[in-house]
Amino acid sequence: MSHQLPAIIFLLPLFAAISMPVVCLKNRHWSHPISVGTLVVMVLVSIINLYNVIHHGEIRYVFSGWSVPLGIEWVADGLASVILVLLSALALLGVVFSRTTSPKALGGRIVHYYTLVLLLISALTGIAFARDLFNLFVFLEVAAISSYALIGVAGGRALFAAFRYLVLGTLGASLYLLGVSYLYAVSGTLNMSDLAERLPLLLHSKALVGGLLFMFIGLGIKMALVPFHAWMPEAYTYAPDSVSPILASLVTKVALLAWIRIMYWVLNATIIINEIPILVMVAVLGALAAVIGATLALAQREIKMMFAYGGISHIGIILIGISQGNQTGFAGGVFYLLNDAVMQAALFFLAGVAYCQFGVRTVDDLGRIGKQAPWLIGFLVVVALGMIGLPPTGGFFGKWYIILGALEAGNYVSVAAVVVSTLLTLAYFVRLFEAIFRRGTTPMEVQVVEIPVSSKLTLGITSAAIIILGLFSAPIIQLLLDQAMPPRL
Amino acid sequence: MIRPHDSIIVQTLGRFLIPVVQIFGLYVLFFGQYGPGGGFVGGVILGTGMILSVLIFGHDASRSQIAKKILHGDGVGMLIYAGVGGLCMIGGGEFLNYANLEIPGLETASRRSLGIVLTQIGVAVDVAVTAVSIVFSLSAEEIIEDSING
Repeated sequence: MSHQLPAIIFLLPLFAAISMPVVCLKNRHWSHPISVGTLVVMVLVSIINLYNVIHHGEIRYVFSGWSVPLGIEWVADGLASVILVLLSALALLGVVFSRTTSPKALGGRIVHYYTLVLLLISALTGIAFARDLFNLFVFLEVAAISSYALIGVAGGRALFAAFRYLVLGTLGASLYLLGVSYLYAVSGTLNMSDLAERLPLLLHSKALVGGLLFMFIGLGIKMALVPFHAWMPEAYTYAPDSVSPILASLVTKVALLAWIRIMYWVLNATIIINEIPILVMVAVLGALAAVIGATLALAQREIKMMFAYGGISHIGIILIGISQGNQTGFAGGVFYLLNDAVMQAALFFLAGVAYCQFGVRTVDDLGRIGKQAPWLIGFLVVVALGMIGLPPTGGFFGKWYIILGALEAGNYVSVAAVVVSTLLTLAYFVRLFEAIFRRGTTPMEVQVVEIPVSSKLTLGITSAAIIILGLFSAPIIQLLLDQAMPPRL
Repeated sequence: MIRPHDSIIVQTLGRFLIPVVQIFGLYVLFFGQYGPGGGFVGGVILGTGMILSVLIFGHDASRSQIAKKILHGDGVGMLIYAGVGGLCMIGGGEFLNYANLEIPGLETASRRSLGIVLTQIGVAVDVAVTAVSIVFSLSAEEIIEDSING
C-alpha cells in the first residue's frame, strides 16, 4: 500500500474538488466541511508518507505502469515529502480561515470557490512530486489557472490584478513550455533523471542553453523573482482575504521548488555553461531580489502590499541559500523556505483579520487596532521576530545556515545581501510598530469586536509554528541534510 | 439569451442534422481505440450537437433542456476518469494501470481496452460540458448564475 502514497496524497484533494459540484448541488454549505475533512486526511497521509520516506527510502511511482522514460514518473523523496507536510498543513489552515473571511458576495458560487482551492492544492502537490518536465508544466498551469480565478473572485480591482497575473503568468508558462520543447528536441526525453544523464554530453548545444534560459525565466515569472515580480503584490493584495494566505504562502514557494528541482536534479548546478557559472548567476539574482524586494516593502502604504514585497525579498534569500553549492547553504535555504511559507501565511492571516474585523488596510490605520486587540499585536510581534530573523524563531536559524553556507563558499556578496535585507525588514516592521504605538493618534471609540474562533485558531497555530520551527531547527536541518539533498551535492 | 432561429430551413435541417452529429460524435469517441478519434474530439462533436440545438431552437426549447441540465455535470467527466484510475489503484496497480481493473471474467487485454474506453467517455463528457458552458456564458451570463444558484 505504501507505494501508492504519492498518488493517494494527490488524489484526495482532486477527488474532493471534482465531486464538489455534484455533491454540493443541493446543499452548498457542505462545501466547507468537505474541504476541511479532505485536508485533514491529506495532512495525516502526508505525515505517514514522510515517516515512510524517512524509514524506507524514497517512493518511485510511475503512472499507468509504463516504464520510466516513457511513463510519467513521480518521486516522493525527502524534499517533496517535507514540503508536502507543510503544504497540506498550511492549506488546511487556509481553508479553516476562509470560513469567516470568504467574500459574502459569492453566494452559490462558494461551491466553485472551494473546488478551485482544492484544485489548486492538488496541482501544487503534483508540482512537488513530478519528475517529468511536461507533467510539471501541466500542474504549473492548473495551479496558475485556479489562482487566476481565485484572485479575480472578489471583483473590482482584483479583476484587474487577476488579468495582469493571467497575462504575465501565461507568458511565464509559455516560456517554460518553449524551454521544455527545446530540451526535448535536443535530448529526446522529458524524464528528469533521464535528462540529467544525457545533458552532460549536450552542453555545447545552443538549443540547450536557450531552452534552460527560457525555463528559468518562465519559472522566475511564476515565483515572482525580482525583475519579473510585477504581477505579484497587486494580485495578493486585492485577492480575497481568505485566499491570499494560501496563495502567498504556497504558490510562489512551490514554483521555487520546481526551480530547485530543475537546477539540481536535472542540471548539475555546479557546472559552467559557456563560461557562465549557474550558481553565481542565481546567487546574484537572489541577492538582487532580497535587497530590492525589502526596499520596495519599506515604501508601501498598504499592509498586504508590504507583506507581499516582503515575500519577494524572502524568495531572494532562499535563492541565495540554495545557490551556495554546499549542503549547509542548501539545507538552510530549504529550511528558510519552510519558515517563509509559514510566516507568509501568518502575515496574510493577520492582514485578513485586520481588514475583516477592524477595517484596517493601510499602515497608518494600524493605530486603531492597538487598544482593541492587544493579542493581535502579540501575534504580529511573533511573526515580525520571524520575518526579521531573531532567535528563537525559525527565521533566525534559516538565515543563520544560509550565511554559514555563504561563508563556507566564500561568497561575501551573498552574506552582505542577507544582512542588508534583514536590516531593511527590520526597518519596515519598525515602521509598522511605530504606526501601531504612535502617540497622539485620535483614539477611536473602543468597540468590542468578536473575533471568530477560526481566525484565532489559525493565527495561534501559525505563530506557534514559527517558534516551534525555531526550537526544533536542529533536528529539521539534520533531516534535510540526511534526506533532502540533491544527488550531486 | 438565445432566441429560436426563425428560418424554417434551418429548423428543419437542424431536426435532421443534430441526431446525426450526436451519433457521429459517439462513433468518433468509440472509434478512438482503433483509429483517429477519441475522447476529446468525440466530446467536441457531442458538445457541438447540443450547441447547435440551443442556437436553432432557442434557449428555452425542450430540445435544449439536455444542454442546460448537463451544465451541472462540470465534475462528472473528471470523476469518471479519476474513478477508473482509483479502481485500478484498488486493484493493486498504479493509477490508471488498466491491467489491474478488477472485473471478473475479463482478460488483461480486454481490461485495458475497457479502461481506455471508460476514461475516454469521461474526457468526452467533460469536453462537451465545457463547450456548452462556454456558449452559455458568452450568450447570457445571468442564466448560468441562475442555474448554478438553483
